[in-house]
Amino acid sequence: MAAKKWLLSIAAASLLFVHAAPPPASASSTPYESYNYNYWEEAVPAPAAYIPDRSISGVDLGIGDFLEPSDMVAADSGLIYIVDSGNGRIVCIDDKWNVRNIFNGFDNEGKADGFKNPSGLFVDGEGNLYVADTDNGRIVVLSKEGDLLKIIDQPKSDILAADFKFVPLKVAVDKARRVYVVARGIYEGIMQFDGIGEFIGYVGTNKVQRDYTEYVWRLLSTKAQKAQMVLFIPTEFSNIDMDSKGFVYATNIDPDSREPVKRLNPSGEDVLKRFGYFDVSGDIRFRIAVGPSKLIDVKVLENGMYSVLDANQGRVFTYSDEGDLLYIYGGKGNQTGTFKTPVAIERIGDKQLVLDRGRSQIVVFKPTKFGSSVNEAVKLHYNGEDKLAVPVWEEVLRMNGNYDIAYIGIGKSLLMEKRNGEALAYFKLGMDRDGYTVAYKRYRRELLKEHFGTVLTVLLVIAAAWAAFKLTNSWRRKRTVIMSGFAPQNVKEDKAP
Amino acid sequence: MKQDFIKFPLHLLMHPFDGFWDLKYDGKGKVRVALVLLALVVISVILQNQYAGFLVNYNDPRHLNSITQLLTIVFPFFLWCVSNWAITTLMDGEGKFKEIVMATGYALVPIVLIYLPMTVASRFMVEEETAFYYLLLSISSIWFAALLFVGTMTVHQYTVLKTVVTMVLTVIVMGIIVFLGTLVLSMMQQIYEFIVNIYREIIFRT
Repeated sequence: MAAKKWLLSIAAASLLFVHAAPPPASASSTPYESYNYNYWEEAVPAPAAYIPDRSISGVDLGIGDFLEPSDMVAADSGLIYIVDSGNGRIVCIDDKWNVRNIFNGFDNEGKADGFKNPSGLFVDGEGNLYVADTDNGRIVVLSKEGDLLKIIDQPKSDILAADFKFVPLKVAVDKARRVYVVARGIYEGIMQFDGIGEFIGYVGTNKVQRDYTEYVWRLLSTKAQKAQMVLFIPTEFSNIDMDSKGFVYATNIDPDSREPVKRLNPSGEDVLKRFGYFDVSGDIRFRIAVGPSKLIDVKVLENGMYSVLDANQGRVFTYSDEGDLLYIYGGKGNQTGTFKTPVAIERIGDKQLVLDRGRSQIVVFKPTKFGSSVNEAVKLHYNGEDKLAVPVWEEVLRMNGNYDIAYIGIGKSLLMEKRNGEALAYFKLGMDRDGYTVAYKRYRRELLKEHFGTVLTVLLVIAAAWAAFKLTNSWRRKRTVIMSGFAPQNVKEDKAP
Repeated sequence: MKQDFIKFPLHLLMHPFDGFWDLKYDGKGKVRVALVLLALVVISVILQNQYAGFLVNYNDPRHLNSITQLLTIVFPFFLWCVSNWAITTLMDGEGKFKEIVMATGYALVPIVLIYLPMTVASRFMVEEETAFYYLLLSISSIWFAALLFVGTMTVHQYTVLKTVVTMVLTVIVMGIIVFLGTLVLSMMQQIYEFIVNIYREIIFRT
């Protein structure tokens, strides 16, 4: 019996590791299994939030296949720019999928110049293009029409090594026209350039995690052995994006990091809110052979939401501004809606686009009713209209009764309306202890206030009854004592004479 | 009845040296009281796991199993008693097995007394007040350990140092017993497999 139990528990434990991937969702119309994590960090089937709409390749656009495309940007104007690295061009298409423009090169002081394996792009509010021209080691700034505005070349600075080689990979620009660059081989953080292209410094370094077994090994090894060991250096950032307030969202691909997504304020501190049940790091349960999520792109959506792209499993994770995991979609495969090597994620309207380098195509995802309801509710909550969000959350719950965030959302709204008793139940369903404690504190105070008179009366009555009981008791005892005191005396007195 | 089940355990709670002395030499301890106390501990732990307030209860209700909880308390209890008996027999302890069981059982009183009311109280607590909950739970554990210490010391008539050494050794012996138990179990399984195989072999050959 005990052995059987042991075996069972071992089998259960191994299931945890082997079967960490989501259980199959029944009757799914998507080529991937839709799931989300519950409070107990289990992958639970969930309705799909986004479903594949169509896929678009270079041939579909009539401009020949893309060759190893590596970045995609949806500008505020609604135009989509694709960095076609292998062909050294940037393709601009509109939201009706017509090619608007192709930037093969630019006019550099009279000479025709081109891109060499460009891999990053940013389009600022005015429509200017910032191209990370990787193999040429420069950032090229073009106007909307493709005229050269500026080139940011290899920077010169005291803090850069003499043999430093500038290999920009990804680029982002804030409202003050500061240019943020993720460059290859730079461990110090994100490179920051000012408006005229002067190197200012680094922001947001990734911290090196101390590994204690490694530390012990180092203590035990000789100097020669130490020299042979790998050097522990911070990981590089993999991608950056800019939100409307000028905060930089950055991802890194450090497999051990608990904070692979960062939101950097202007002084380089990480201010991402992580109020969810678990880390903002993609999949929290995974097969050991597969490994954790490798986040290679981040896209800031509206209302504080952001999506990150996991290259390892080909999944897109969308978080709310508070760090709650809202939904997950995508996967690896060959069907439309699954990816081979996803590299970039973008949003256009309510749709999301994923650029798949391996298959040289863009996959368009459209939200389902569930997905758009969640988006709507998050938007209302973000804008402080919690009361309006309640019916939307209820709709979400009708589609997915396991959606904890919806319970918490309703709870928060009830709390604001001072319906504390009802809020309690919702916070408990959503396993939100912070919300629960606030609601309970108010509820308890309310109850006490309401029943203060009754409670006090009852207490007084009990006290009076107790006092009366004690009094009669002691009186009775006194009497018996007196009586029994008298009795022997009487006997003695009787006997005395 | 009242004397055995309520008055004496409560007296022992506050006057451990006196109480354990009476338990051993005045015959005031009863094995059935110790066993009832053990059962009460099991019940209070089960109740705590199930009904403690939401703010302090981090158990997944789907995985709560009263039988498992029973075993995780009763098994270590007797394992402790057996190991302690085994060690103290070698180390000139004066306690009989019965007395060890009684001393260990009576030492559980603070756990019973604190767990049950705290389970009720935790349902009316908010986050800031849960500190008291954890504080009282730790007090009950420390109190239990202290009683167990005094109990062992009195029952075996040991010095302080010897008691500490004995208790550490008891824990080690507990580990050894568990190890040997699993070893024997797996050996038995192999022997069983072996016999079954031989039987099959014979059946097929004839």
